[in-house]
Amino acid sequence: MNNEGKGDIPSTRVEPEVKPVSVKKPQSFFRERPLPAIERAPRVLRYQSRRDFLVFGAGALAALAGGGFLLPQDTLSRIGIRRSLDPPGKEWFLNKALRIDDDVAEVLYSGTRRVPTYTKSQITSLKNNYNGATPDPGYISGWKLTLEGLASGLSISLDIRNLLTRFSVHEQITRLVCVEGWSAIAWWTGLRFDDLLRAYPPMSQAKWASVESSVNLDASGNPDPYFMSLDLATARHPQTLLATHFNGQPLSVDHGAPLRLLVPVKLGLKNVKAITRITYLAEEPRDYWAERGYSHYDGI
Amino acid sequence: MSHSTPPDCEPNSTSTLSEQPTVLVVRKHHFLVRWSHWLNVPILLGLILSGISIYWASPIYQHKPDPNSGNTDVAADIGIWICAHVPGQHHYSSPPDWIYNHMSLGPGMLALVLRLHWLCAYLFMLNGMVYVAGLVRGGGWRSLLPRGTDLFDALTMLRYYLGFFFAKLARRQWLHPVSNTKYNALQRAAYLSIPVAGLLSVATGWAIHKPMQLHWLAALIGGYNSARVWHFWLMWVYILFVVPHVILVFADGWNTLRSMIVGWSTRVERSEVVANEQ
Repeated sequence: MNNEGKGDIPSTRVEPEVKPVSVKKPQSFFRERPLPAIERAPRVLRYQSRRDFLVFGAGALAALAGGGFLLPQDTLSRIGIRRSLDPPGKEWFLNKALRIDDDVAEVLYSGTRRVPTYTKSQITSLKNNYNGATPDPGYISGWKLTLEGLASGLSISLDIRNLLTRFSVHEQITRLVCVEGWSAIAWWTGLRFDDLLRAYPPMSQAKWASVESSVNLDASGNPDPYFMSLDLATARHPQTLLATHFNGQPLSVDHGAPLRLLVPVKLGLKNVKAITRITYLAEEPRDYWAERGYSHYDGI
Repeated sequence: MSHSTPPDCEPNSTSTLSEQPTVLVVRKHHFLVRWSHWLNVPILLGLILSGISIYWASPIYQHKPDPNSGNTDVAADIGIWICAHVPGQHHYSSPPDWIYNHMSLGPGMLALVLRLHWLCAYLFMLNGMVYVAGLVRGGGWRSLLPRGTDLFDALTMLRYYLGFFFAKLARRQWLHPVSNTKYNALQRAAYLSIPVAGLLSVATGWAIHKPMQLHWLAALIGGYNSARVWHFWLMWVYILFVVPHVILVFADGWNTLRSMIVGWSTRVERSEVVANEQ
């Protein structure tokens, strides 16, 4: 009796629920399911369609407005849209997006992660990429590196012999990557920036270095000092060199004689040629290319 | 039609709509899939146009400098050829820039287009996550999986497309191959290729963007330069997909286009069959 009763009750009540389960069971997890069919009153479908099309149209208009807001003035005028002024929020918005990307780059950075090194057979040619004119080599004979913002409060001047005799030199064959997309594998020799920081410690609150070259020229050959911001975490990376040699030879004028920065974890534009001054600062200093619309951090 | 209605349909829902006959529709696309589908239009357009502007700064395809102009860019050569041979373009002011002026945001604006490219790239990644969430929640991912019969079915579909215009010209009947799945084999391959290309574009993009911190990613793809080449050609996957995609959706009709906006379709044939099985 009991057994029969137990068997009967579920079979009458649960049957409609059990049946579809028994159909689904042999079906593979990956097998395509039928599209769920639903019954709707035409009135409901019309209402939903109207709502969805309105949202779609609003989205399309928003996309057009967003495009008009963000696109470069040159592009817009080429397609016939002329506007005398860029909207004020545009630069702010794009810089905000760029800052997010810089923050991502900073999170990805690791002070202990080495960049890949290559063999001598993998070396490629590296063009002279001075943005303006290449300086006249006359500056080299009187060249000095000035250090400022030190813990001692002094301003230190070093010539190339001081640097090469006081510090141990390191060699590395690394890739230099340009913001434009090209890259070159080259063999560099120089002292570690980290060793310079240890020998001449910056003031305690310093987080940044401003690396400058006063010999940089613009395209028409006029003085155009180059200044670049570098976070001290990157300066302390073991592969960040103050390079004196390129492919086994002392740096030529093309490559920033007598001392250039080689920071392979940054874009090429941070690799300042012919450095004349390094200043340590608590606040982020100006940056030549950031002022021309590129990123500040440039970590790669 | 009536047999397709599930027998356990709640009586109260039909009674409230008793004055009007109801329409049977199928749920075709999850709303997250629809949103991400349409968001892809401006995002991919932004990525491609800014991407070609970035390409201008350092073209992958270069040759030895031309003795007369010093030009090394193959894309500039194509522009020069177009201006020399295409009617109406003979007086174009800067032939080497023709490609960049017509197919990108423009030459000589690297800083700005890099910012736009990264903005669009982050949006593209977010949108990809929305799409995947929609595929998972709506179960649509199952319709994209390749099957054993796909090769044969794809050839059947190709035969249909190739013969379509001849049959029309000859006024012969030319029946669409029967398919009992949401997509035919060719559609499935095309629709799956886009998320796969999206994933590869993102991976190669990161490999180019962070070649030092993510050097293992570039190494997977064959190095930094190879990642750039892949990233460039992946762009063509979207372009080559979009052209037939747009043609075919208009050829297929309003119901299909509308289903990507509203989510449902009135084509219920296949669901009827399945409802019978249950």
